[in-house]
Amino acid sequence: MSRKHFPLWTVLAVVLVAALLIGGGVFSSSSPSAAARAAAIESVIRCPSCEDLSVAASSAPTAIAVRAEVSRQVAEGRSDGQIKEYLVARYGSAIVLEPATTGWAAVVWVLPVVVAIAAIGLLVLVLVRRRRRGDGDLDADVRSPDVDPVLLDERRRFLTQSLADADAEYLAGDLSDADYLALRQRDLTRLGLLASTSSTASTASTASTSVRDTPDTLDATTGTAASTDPSKGPATARHRRNRRFLLGALACFAAALIVAVPLFSSNRLPGQTATGSVNLSPSQQLARSLDQAAAVANTGQLGQAAQLYQSVLSAHPDSAVALAQLGWIEYRIGTAGSSTSLITDARAKLDQAVDLAPGDYAAHLYIGTILLAHDGNAAGAADQFRLFVGAGPPARVLAEAAPTLRTAFAQAGQPLPAGVPAG
Amino acid sequence: MLVVGAGLIAVLATRPPAAVTEVRSPLVGNPAPSIRGITVDGHAYALAQPPGTFVVLNYFASWCVPCQQEGPELVRFDFQHRQAGDARLVSVVFDDTTSAARSYQATLGATWPTLADSKGELALNYGVRAPPTTFLIAPDGRVVAYLVAPVTAAGLDALIARAKATGA
Repeated sequence: MSRKHFPLWTVLAVVLVAALLIGGGVFSSSSPSAAARAAAIESVIRCPSCEDLSVAASSAPTAIAVRAEVSRQVAEGRSDGQIKEYLVARYGSAIVLEPATTGWAAVVWVLPVVVAIAAIGLLVLVLVRRRRRGDGDLDADVRSPDVDPVLLDERRRFLTQSLADADAEYLAGDLSDADYLALRQRDLTRLGLLASTSSTASTASTASTSVRDTPDTLDATTGTAASTDPSKGPATARHRRNRRFLLGALACFAAALIVAVPLFSSNRLPGQTATGSVNLSPSQQLARSLDQAAAVANTGQLGQAAQLYQSVLSAHPDSAVALAQLGWIEYRIGTAGSSTSLITDARAKLDQAVDLAPGDYAAHLYIGTILLAHDGNAAGAADQFRLFVGAGPPARVLAEAAPTLRTAFAQAGQPLPAGVPAG
Repeated sequence: MLVVGAGLIAVLATRPPAAVTEVRSPLVGNPAPSIRGITVDGHAYALAQPPGTFVVLNYFASWCVPCQQEGPELVRFDFQHRQAGDARLVSVVFDDTTSAARSYQATLGATWPTLADSKGELALNYGVRAPPTTFLIAPDGRVVAYLVAPVTAAGLDALIARAKATGA
């Protein structure tokens, strides 16, 4: 008459594992084609000249070259690992979009597994302890003299319900005679135990209350009061343990962070900040890149500044600020190196900047300066400088540009616009 | 939290500053991949292995402003070392048309070999991401420096002196 019950979660777990194994292709005997292998590798290789794009998703010449190399090596029969190693030996580990499975980088793979195992272990431990408490070891917590009366009531209700369920199952034929008797015997024993504990607890509670209510008695019986006060003893010890655990966890986290940052952070490129990019919005990223480029330009490193402005323009081709600044840098380099083509290119960029943002004062200032210094066109320069002043530049910029403006308007025979310092 | 903050500050403060243009590359310290291909003038070119002299391998593009800035410096470096015979230059076109690169090199007055690398194979072999990128290869064929910003003749001389001092 006895029946075996498979818990539902066991069945679900078996189904889940089977589905994952079948879906993951563990039982599949066919090997992927060369093209499929190449595509899979390309999807995890970073485009060398792009930001956060795989070579599979990029049409940059460097990405095309990498794709061709991957296909060639796949055709030669090299393994996925060998192909990745080949690329890592040239570009560094950052060329692979997935973290490495060896060395310190493997921590990112191992850590989730360790945490998952620890979480499952903890869950099992908690469940086992709870079960023990619920099954045979009601004793431990309910026998304590300072047991909570609410807990006793709860246990009593649970056992009464358990007895009623056992009766119902027996009547329905779901339980054998032996099982029913064993269950009934167990629950009745526990109920008896609860009854005796309950009377002890009520006595202890009364004693405790009288101690608390009588200050003189409290003084005389400090030791007893301390051991029965629920706010002290086990709770305090648990609190201390928790605090120690928290401090230990924080110390581990700090140590891991300090070890991980230098390991996983690469050297900065010129103009890069120490903290790298940390969840910035596109507009914040643009502003930061422009600031970096301006800072580099202010140190006189025009080539590096131009490089930074070019990278801004590759991501934001319509950035009037980047166009104007790069145009001005090109003009300065072109003038220093007597490069006509560079100066022509600079002027085109400045004109483009004005088209994109007619109200941007910088482009007008640069165009006016070029007209004056390079072309000797004072009237044209004065027109641009009027637009520059009309765009409302900051006082500092206006003060710096004032001597050039005065020269241009004097040469053009035109009055100086209002707001320009007379000098 | 204070410990974490202090640790991070210490770590970040000891990282190389942003002004440093010489960066890490897996190739540094290892044998340089072979340098061979077709020049922008259509001739076959292959660098001897080991080269026997220092080799400055420079990746450039005609549209790249920093490359235009370093161009005169490369001409100066080539002029100074061509006589002494202790170092030579090889340029490689990166992400540019051969005709534009040839025209740019002619305007610059570059007389050293310039490889077209139309399929980007040389760039891939050296892990180049953007122009200008420069490698210094020692006479024994090892890569001794990797730079990702415009170079100067004086800067290259300093790198060669450093490499010589370390026995390259």
